[in-house]
Amino acid sequence: MKTLAFFNNKGGVGKTTLLYHLAWMLAEMGKRVLVADLDPQANLTSMFLTEPELEKLWDPDNAQDQSIMAPLTPIIRGLGDIGPTPFQHISSNIRLIPGDLNLSNFESNLSEAWGKCLDRQEPAFRVTSSLYRIIRQAADSFEADLVLVDVGPNFGAINRAALICADAVVIPLAPDLFSIQGLRNLGPTLTTWRKDWRIRLTQNPAPDLLLPEATMQPLGYVVIQFGIRDSKPVWAYEKWARKIPSTFREKVLSLPPNSITSTVDDPNCLGLLKHYRSLMPMAMEARKPIFKLKPSDGAIGAHSKSAKDSGEDFRDLAEQILNALDKRPE
Amino acid sequence: MTSEDLRQLISSGEADRVELTRAAQDNEKFREAICAFSNDMAGRGLAGYLVIGIDENNPAYRLSVSTEMLEKLVGLRSDGAIMPLPVMNVSRVPHPGGDGEVIVVEVHPNDMPPVRYKGRTHIRIGPRKGVASESEERVLIERRTANFRTFDVTPCPEGDLERLDTETFRHTYRPQAIAAEVIAENHRDLPEQLAALRFYNLKRNCPTNAGMLVFAYDPLDLFPGAKVQFVQYDGPELADTVLAEKTFTGSLITLLSELDSFLKGRFTQRPVAVSELREQAVFDFPPEAVRELLMNAVLHRDYQSTSPIRFYQFNDRIEIQNPGGLYGDASPENFPRVNAYRNPIIAEAMHTLGYVNRFGRGIARAQRALNDNQSPPPSFDYQSSHFLAIIPKHLQR
Repeated sequence: MKTLAFFNNKGGVGKTTLLYHLAWMLAEMGKRVLVADLDPQANLTSMFLTEPELEKLWDPDNAQDQSIMAPLTPIIRGLGDIGPTPFQHISSNIRLIPGDLNLSNFESNLSEAWGKCLDRQEPAFRVTSSLYRIIRQAADSFEADLVLVDVGPNFGAINRAALICADAVVIPLAPDLFSIQGLRNLGPTLTTWRKDWRIRLTQNPAPDLLLPEATMQPLGYVVIQFGIRDSKPVWAYEKWARKIPSTFREKVLSLPPNSITSTVDDPNCLGLLKHYRSLMPMAMEARKPIFKLKPSDGAIGAHSKSAKDSGEDFRDLAEQILNALDKRPE
Repeated sequence: MTSEDLRQLISSGEADRVELTRAAQDNEKFREAICAFSNDMAGRGLAGYLVIGIDENNPAYRLSVSTEMLEKLVGLRSDGAIMPLPVMNVSRVPHPGGDGEVIVVEVHPNDMPPVRYKGRTHIRIGPRKGVASESEERVLIERRTANFRTFDVTPCPEGDLERLDTETFRHTYRPQAIAAEVIAENHRDLPEQLAALRFYNLKRNCPTNAGMLVFAYDPLDLFPGAKVQFVQYDGPELADTVLAEKTFTGSLITLLSELDSFLKGRFTQRPVAVSELREQAVFDFPPEAVRELLMNAVLHRDYQSTSPIRFYQFNDRIEIQNPGGLYGDASPENFPRVNAYRNPIIAEAMHTLGYVNRFGRGIARAQRALNDNQSPPPSFDYQSSHFLAIIPKHLQR
């Protein structure tokens, strides 16, 4: 079982949409996929579930809390350790740990605990590793091959606790200035978190507690053009796309620069996703990935073919990701 | 099948009829095997067997067979991944090596090949497993049963290729039904492309009834009943004032998409009081229930009848009536648990287009939608020549 986080500190690049599509594609390829929505925005959860299902899930009057908040509540209230993980059956190969807007209430507990880990305090380790242990619990009971974790676009304590769960990190990028700027902060931050957690691991007073290794290896980046508008000329994006390979190499992998200026030739580029025009809104309405759209969803004529073709793009990307995961230095 | 039969079958060495496998998880492999047995490329006319729970390298291996495993395997038949629906049964058989059990999936050759899984025609020749080439598919098409089992695969001599919306077939339907790499290496002409999906009969050189119904711009002269008649009444009876009327006609592709657009937004949610303090938004008629039962009527109706599907909205209920009673093995005693297909090719087309997700679930989905909406349950009336579904309106709307 491998845990893969999708992270970019600049929002709005289409990270959640990418994760949603990859979960469906990996499931179609026969993998058992657990999806954990650890972004307090909970957009991923609303892609998977219908309005009435969401209402039931987040109904404040409903004691049957079915989101990530259910197992966290005892920890937040300081009443004990994590409870059992609820997860939703999405398809025979996909399970979802639903996100929750209230997850943001956990931020302060996590920041406080991060510091207290250095004082060898067991409760602090329980809090810091709670997201990791919740995911492991669900992954073991579902016998998942892969866990995909969605995290919010910031460097807060929730994201730190979510990212230390990950064996590897996929970085979705849009070809624009903000994404390039983001990479410059993202690389060093991951390195710092990894180092800080290693230091804390040596201070753990409870040897029986399941703690993450926090490998967080940057697996590579995916260039997403979902958000590209037709109003800007293509060269404007080209300019930024040319900067991605070197910036990723230097800032995220801390390697000396090389001369690659095309994402196509870059071994760190896991794939490139086109702008699927009107298919994406159609897919969101039908609650399906675009490659599963049918004529009854409006995929007719040219749409029918491009919906089918998009499956190839996502399959290639999923295969690249699986290969990169296999090739990781252990 | 006894374990003695099984022993003989395994020792017969007929690699294209038997697949032995250890674990009960590998759905992908199972579906490919079921698809290949259905195609019976060797033309033996004998069933193929998928035997789960035998490890050829470890005679002592035993699988603990559970009811859940059997149910999952039965489910492989009706989730629409393999089309047309395979003819198969799943049973427990004592392990031929003594103590313990194996699962045997018996798959009969389909009389409407080529059968596809994920748009690919899987076959076996001796020990070779693969995907049929164009010439192999042609052999399968030619082998179709000469006596036409159902009305929809019967050739329609009055039909004519000119009348079909071939544009929609090529650009909308075919990419959904056939895997991309198979389309890419294509050297077939249009009648062959249509025949491979059971819409054309190459021997008689004319479309099948299903071909005309699904793709002809206007099939009404051949099938006068192939339409849906919607009427809304201002009361509980046919004698009441008519508020609205609409008739849906054209090829099934057009008719289904127009029906779908019509249903979107037709039924509205309004809050009603469920207790002193709480309100809940409910539909007068949950659209999902109406849609499922309409799809059911389009799928199961008798296309030889001159009656349309009647879709009548009264002030207290909706009635959806289609010509043709329960078909084949389905009876009032076992409805809706047992389903049989009067129109298997129409069923396949509706699945390819996305109007049907899983076979045999429509009624249950309609019941659930009504239940979630806190409406009374639907009722059904089956006569010998027609089927009627009644959807009651929510009591507080």
